[in-house]
Amino acid sequence: MDRALRRRLEQRFGERLTGPIRQRHDETEIRIAPADVPDVMRTLHDDPAFAFVLLADLGGVDTGHVMQVVYHVWGATTHDWLRVVADGLSRDDPRVPSVTFLWQGAEWLEREAYDMFGITFEGNRDLRRIFMPPDYQSYPLRKDFFLADDAARSPGAGVRHMEQSHAPTNAVPSSAVRRSRVG
Amino acid sequence: MTAGPPKSRYDIPAHASADDPRVMLEEQIGVFESIPPYPPRTEREAEFYSLGDGQMFLNIGPHHPATHGVLRVVFKISGEQIVDVDPVLGYLHRGVEKLCENADYHQAICYMDPLEYVSSLFCEWPAVMAFEKLLDVEVPRRAEYIRVLSSELNRIASHALFVGFMALDLGGLTPILYGFIERDEMVEMLASLTGQRMLFNYFRIGGVNGDLNHDFMSRLGAWMGRAAEQIEANLGLLNENEIFVRRMRGMGLLDRETAFSIGVTGPNLRASGVPFDFRRAHPYSVFPELDFDIPTRQEGDCLARYPLRIDEIKQSLRIIDQCLHEMPDGPVMAKLPRLVRPRPGRAFAGVEGPRGLNAVYAIADGADQPFRMRVHDPSFVNLQLLNLMLPGNLVADMMAVFSSLDPIMGGIDK
Repeated sequence: MDRALRRRLEQRFGERLTGPIRQRHDETEIRIAPADVPDVMRTLHDDPAFAFVLLADLGGVDTGHVMQVVYHVWGATTHDWLRVVADGLSRDDPRVPSVTFLWQGAEWLEREAYDMFGITFEGNRDLRRIFMPPDYQSYPLRKDFFLADDAARSPGAGVRHMEQSHAPTNAVPSSAVRRSRVG
Repeated sequence: MTAGPPKSRYDIPAHASADDPRVMLEEQIGVFESIPPYPPRTEREAEFYSLGDGQMFLNIGPHHPATHGVLRVVFKISGEQIVDVDPVLGYLHRGVEKLCENADYHQAICYMDPLEYVSSLFCEWPAVMAFEKLLDVEVPRRAEYIRVLSSELNRIASHALFVGFMALDLGGLTPILYGFIERDEMVEMLASLTGQRMLFNYFRIGGVNGDLNHDFMSRLGAWMGRAAEQIEANLGLLNENEIFVRRMRGMGLLDRETAFSIGVTGPNLRASGVPFDFRRAHPYSVFPELDFDIPTRQEGDCLARYPLRIDEIKQSLRIIDQCLHEMPDGPVMAKLPRLVRPRPGRAFAGVEGPRGLNAVYAIADGADQPFRMRVHDPSFVNLQLLNLMLPGNLVADMMAVFSSLDPIMGGIDK
């Protein structure tokens, strides 16, 4: 746990943080609003006090209540992984600005998150499905996607096409969706 | 495109009855042509799939020996020259992340193995590290040393295979045979340790599956005695091969800024002159106690990536040697219940694999299954370099560039 990093983050981002900074083992976690992603990430990348030069990972999370986009960045200024959680994306229309202007390599990572969660990254020049076939219609890693039923809805996989948009009205009772208690 | 009803993807006979599944399929979804030109989904796709004067598409894959698995790459070419590249992924997609959400924590580890199937231990390691963080488990030191020892062996096996396949892609048939001799030796060694030749499933939450045994140690001792010599002998096959050198030198240049912008890690980054290795940059396990160098090359071309990996093999041998000398006694597993239920929380762990950062991000919600498993694979990120390196080169150079990046499709497609 890097206390100094925590102080630097608090000083620099103060009110932009939507939750407390959490630290555990070798990880530091901050939470921001999706609209703040470009500014915060640019500061983290460019400011010599942070200098998180490497985007280690980018992935979507569906908590069952909201969607999140989680960035892990590495920098030489700290011994911690910094986890930036863009929190509170709506599950109906998740949108977040792209970080491809900082890290070109985020392009495919964002494509993957789009493919798996339906998160729209505004500014990504090539946001199309990357693993699933182009005519696939649902988002497999969302929590309202149930393995056997929903995979069979792919036109490529089966005989009967029942595929609907990512919130099927017929299928899953909302009580059956596994929701996170983590928040 | 002719007017009228679109033709089916499958050729449905005229006498097919109405409950023929293919008829039902067509009625319900209509016909979607999954090969462009369908209406382009992004500007980039529209730009790629519109041909200029004298240009044509060339489709390589999904089953092509030079694609190291099932990758499809669409080239836009003008004569022999590549104008643009569109890699098409997903032919090996198994949905590992979703499978892990439906498996308990121990079961999730064995889903990690087939990701990078030539370096399985590096896929297991971040997963168990992440789970250990969630559970606040202390790993016994002997287990950490065994992990380092076995994974460095796996790194050598992976690099030995890389050297062979790189030459094979360029038309040299011999080095792969020697590469496989070395790799077989190590795979057998690891099999005597783990019980499996390829998909080891050896690491456990809180330790490893079994202690070192006599069979493993005697094989390792015999091999270590001649390893360095053997590697030197293999090098002679390629180092002075004029065709090999001339096809690789100056090809697929990667500079430092682009590498960081793409997020390239591992040997491909170090071949561009950046001494960056997560074993030092973000130390984990017992690596702070071990003495080894981070080899780099300044050239940043395809040729540099080959001797760099040879240097890494030598460093791995050093690490193995130290592990054998400093291996402490003690248990190899922490005490843990069969069914683990971590408290709600999040953990991220990454290790330096043979291709770069292998990482896992796990979210626990208090149940015995991970709420979310995110697997980060280095080859997936590295493969984006194709778009930067290939345009302007000849079609035949695709092999040189592609194999020098050493991607493994199992990891890319998850």
